Amino acid sequence: MSTTAVRDLESIVREDTELDYHALNAMLNLYDQDGRIQFERDRQAARQYFLQHVNNNTVFFHDLREKLDYLVEHDYYEPEVLEQYSFEFIERLSKLAYARKFRFQTFLGAFKFYTSYTLKTFDGKRYLERFEDRVVMVALFLARGDEALATQLVEEIIAGRFQPATPTFLNAGKKQRGELVSCFLLRIEDNMESIGRSINSALQLSKRGGGVAFSLTNIRESGAPIKKIENQSSGVIPVMKLLEDSFSYANQLGARQGAGAVYLNAHHPDIYRFLDTKRENADEKIRIKTLSLGVVIPDITFELAKKNEDMYLFSPYDVQQAYGVPFTEISVTEKYDEMVDNPHIRKTKINAREFFQTLAEIQFESGYPYIMYEDTVNRANPIDGKVTMSNLCSEILQVSEPSTYNDDLSYAEVGKDISCNLGSLNIALTMDSEDFGRTVETAIRGLTAVSETSNISSVPSIDRGNDMSHAIGLGQMNLHGYLARERIHYGSEEGLDFTNMYFYTVVYHCVRASMEIAKERGRAFAGFERSKYATGEYFDTYTEKEWAPRTQRIADLFEAAGVHIPTQEDWRELKEQVAQHGIYNQNLQAVPPTGSISYINNSTSSIHPVASRIEIRKEGKIGRVYYPAPFMDNDNLDYYQDAYEVGYEKIIDTYAEATQHVDQGLSLTLFFKDTATTRDVNRAQIYAWRKGIKTVYYIRIRQLALQGTEVEGCVSCML
Amino acid sequence: MTVSGEKLKLVSHVDAINWNRVQDDVDSDVWDRLTANFWLPEKVPLSNDVQSWATLTQEERTLTMRVFTGLTLLDTIQGTVGAVSLIPDSLTPHEEAVYTNIAFMESVHAKSYSSIFSTLTSTREIDDAFRWSTENQNLQRKAEIILKYYRGDEPLKRKVASTLLESFLFYSGFYLPMYWSSHAKLTNTADLIRLIIRDEAVHGYYIGYKYQRGLERVDEAKREELKDYTFNLMFELYENEVQYTHDLYDSVGLSEDVKKFLHYNANKALMNLGYEAMFPATVTDVNPAILAALSPNADENHDFFSGSGSSYVIGKAVNTEDEDWDF
Repeated sequence: MSTTAVRDLESIVREDTELDYHALNAMLNLYDQDGRIQFERDRQAARQYFLQHVNNNTVFFHDLREKLDYLVEHDYYEPEVLEQYSFEFIERLSKLAYARKFRFQTFLGAFKFYTSYTLKTFDGKRYLERFEDRVVMVALFLARGDEALATQLVEEIIAGRFQPATPTFLNAGKKQRGELVSCFLLRIEDNMESIGRSINSALQLSKRGGGVAFSLTNIRESGAPIKKIENQSSGVIPVMKLLEDSFSYANQLGARQGAGAVYLNAHHPDIYRFLDTKRENADEKIRIKTLSLGVVIPDITFELAKKNEDMYLFSPYDVQQAYGVPFTEISVTEKYDEMVDNPHIRKTKINAREFFQTLAEIQFESGYPYIMYEDTVNRANPIDGKVTMSNLCSEILQVSEPSTYNDDLSYAEVGKDISCNLGSLNIALTMDSEDFGRTVETAIRGLTAVSETSNISSVPSIDRGNDMSHAIGLGQMNLHGYLARERIHYGSEEGLDFTNMYFYTVVYHCVRASMEIAKERGRAFAGFERSKYATGEYFDTYTEKEWAPRTQRIADLFEAAGVHIPTQEDWRELKEQVAQHGIYNQNLQAVPPTGSISYINNSTSSIHPVASRIEIRKEGKIGRVYYPAPFMDNDNLDYYQDAYEVGYEKIIDTYAEATQHVDQGLSLTLFFKDTATTRDVNRAQIYAWRKGIKTVYYIRIRQLALQGTEVEGCVSCML
Repeated sequence: MTVSGEKLKLVSHVDAINWNRVQDDVDSDVWDRLTANFWLPEKVPLSNDVQSWATLTQEERTLTMRVFTGLTLLDTIQGTVGAVSLIPDSLTPHEEAVYTNIAFMESVHAKSYSSIFSTLTSTREIDDAFRWSTENQNLQRKAEIILKYYRGDEPLKRKVASTLLESFLFYSGFYLPMYWSSHAKLTNTADLIRLIIRDEAVHGYYIGYKYQRGLERVDEAKREELKDYTFNLMFELYENEVQYTHDLYDSVGLSEDVKKFLHYNANKALMNLGYEAMFPATVTDVNPAILAALSPNADENHDFFSGSGSSYVIGKAVNTEDEDWDF
């Protein structure tokens, strides 16, 4: 080693020990003297994190046997999980995992894993698992004694191709744990029993983890009569308050703050009151701080706005009286004129364009509400029934049935509510997979296992829904990372072409895997025979039309990766087999926003562009940390244009390509600079609706520091 | 703290303000920015920090309380005297309007600290901390120095005092919440403080800018005098600030780190006034975690479920037109 090299090394070591890992990580956000991003600082931060913190705080065991015995004996691991396998197999699996030489690529990845996922001693001070141990435990739990599946899961997860969602990855195999399910969606009907049950469900489900969403559309509006006495009901706001407080009360032993969302139809009379709860200057009595809001918008609202007409809002109580079914079950688009003409339905009116503008104003101030385009969603829904709401991340879109209750709050009839198990593929690494189809299939089997091992007895309607449908949601992340690695711009013609072909290939394997499981189990999901899968209608778009890359570049990428693009013949064959065996999962795909897991997995979030080249991530448990986009270096920065620069059209175009192949939804965040007006936000909403987007998640606004007030040499401050 | 003994000067003549004739574009830019940045402490879910507060040691809590009472005092001064005293010297009616906004937001800031207190701690502890703030000589001296210049009759000197307050004196206090948040503690409180920093950054920049415009109207000798005055005042405040920093931070061993931060911000304040830096780069190497946390840009990608973030603004409402609905 030359003397200069030695000196360099010394200076690096010296600097390292002078700075703690937080400071090193923060240097990512500050340019060096030559104006380059200091990527090596983040790698040093990750290394120092292990040297200064993790290694010193990890409990040492001589061997695996000693470790497992200790963890079982002290109630850290569930013995039932391990008992399904021989010790020799577990040892082999653990060796296999360690042999893959997993290393965290970023400081945030390591930091996030050790603060939020790994098993710790009960006093919270020392670590009992490394990443490999967590992966093995998750695989053992999900495979339920199936050695081949356990091995396959370890391979897919440790390689980074498949990443189970937080509740699964965090909890599987631990003795003291919450549920493995990510998301719950529940209906509320227009009676006190149902509201009371909902509060209880919010508490129960928050305690066990996972986000909970409620539909408020059926609750009668403020001022509606109760028992024929006028002006009695207080509408949806007090119910929102109750729910918000329930969520903050139950927080999974402090592991995860309870989180909830509420959805309301745009034609509910309380719609403005609902939105105003998020106003900057809202009165404390009605201000909603931590509950998320979503609005369900049917096509008719757009048509009315187009004609610049008023839109009528309908009393849910009267609608139910008139049609004999809850308001959510009525298509407002279909029945609009009829309801306007019906003298027995009380109604108020607001201007449709004003409604959209108000929506955009509130989004500017708070990022809320989410939007669900009701008619688009239901046209694309392959399952019998109506989708009336979405969830906390706006990617779950499933049908539900109401429950009815006795006076003592017991169930008269258990309805069907929604839960969903999520997990995501890393697009870049899945494209690198030696067997694309097997990667997808392993993920589907892993998610199905989550559904089959879940037993949410505290909320019977959820439990029933899960048993009937085995709904899962396979997501995707790292689209931008993949495109940048291949030097393709996000939202370019090639970018769109890739997105289309990738999702097209994934959906084929999803349906195929679910059919295989149905074949093995000898049964399909309940209601399969009434679905478009059974009638074959679902397959028309694939069997009647050829899907192929539109650009040579993308054809070459699939060719070089050895990924077979399904042909029409493949689809016809699959259609036959599905007709014969059914599919096991009522729902298969849903693309979540992937926060935490994409940091651990070294991915860009979901399929949207990076929010910033160096992202400032802030969360309650980790504070403020800096995260570099995957595969980025000082030479390819050009391909990491951030979401605010990319603009809403390209993001919506990209999502529209993917949406055609996804049975549920995709969390679509829209990004605006602060020079945007409410009109720009409205145009984006209209554009999204026209492109067949199903839901819109947050609106994020970026405000740059006034020139002269910024921090010098800060990476994320630069355009 | 009440300020009495002098009569507030009022503007002698008022014309109706015409925002369609803006003499200085910076006025309307800053006005737009300040109004878009409007916020109230109620929007930040401070109660999410209660658990985190419980993990602090007694010394750390006392320190945090004292830091915030100190900041409350400065914001009170700036809201009730500082920004108001600048109004009569305004060069344009729009500048007056901007100062009224600044004054109001300073009062919002002062109230914010009380929100933090009442959320995290008990009345007795709050009273103790306020008592400490009235008894701490260095803090009181800091207030006296600034108030002295606000009362003086030199408009440009008032602006210097005000800029140093906004861009320099606050930061010995701002250090702490930034430090906590980079260690994953009191992150929602830090959000609120970052909103305050976002405002103060604009205030300091604007008043400094107006000072520089003012300098253009005086002769060379006067400019020299003002520059000397600025650096003298900076020295005076700096020495006092060092003492104050030791009073606060010695108990947790952070004083040296805070001092670097003081140097950094002193340079920044001088820069806002159009002067060269006073401290060399070797003593301004602030801990990167603090520096990066300071960025007033609203570009962090926060997790909505644990906080509201400091990034939302009040948007500009514009009607949609028929062409937007052309489908």
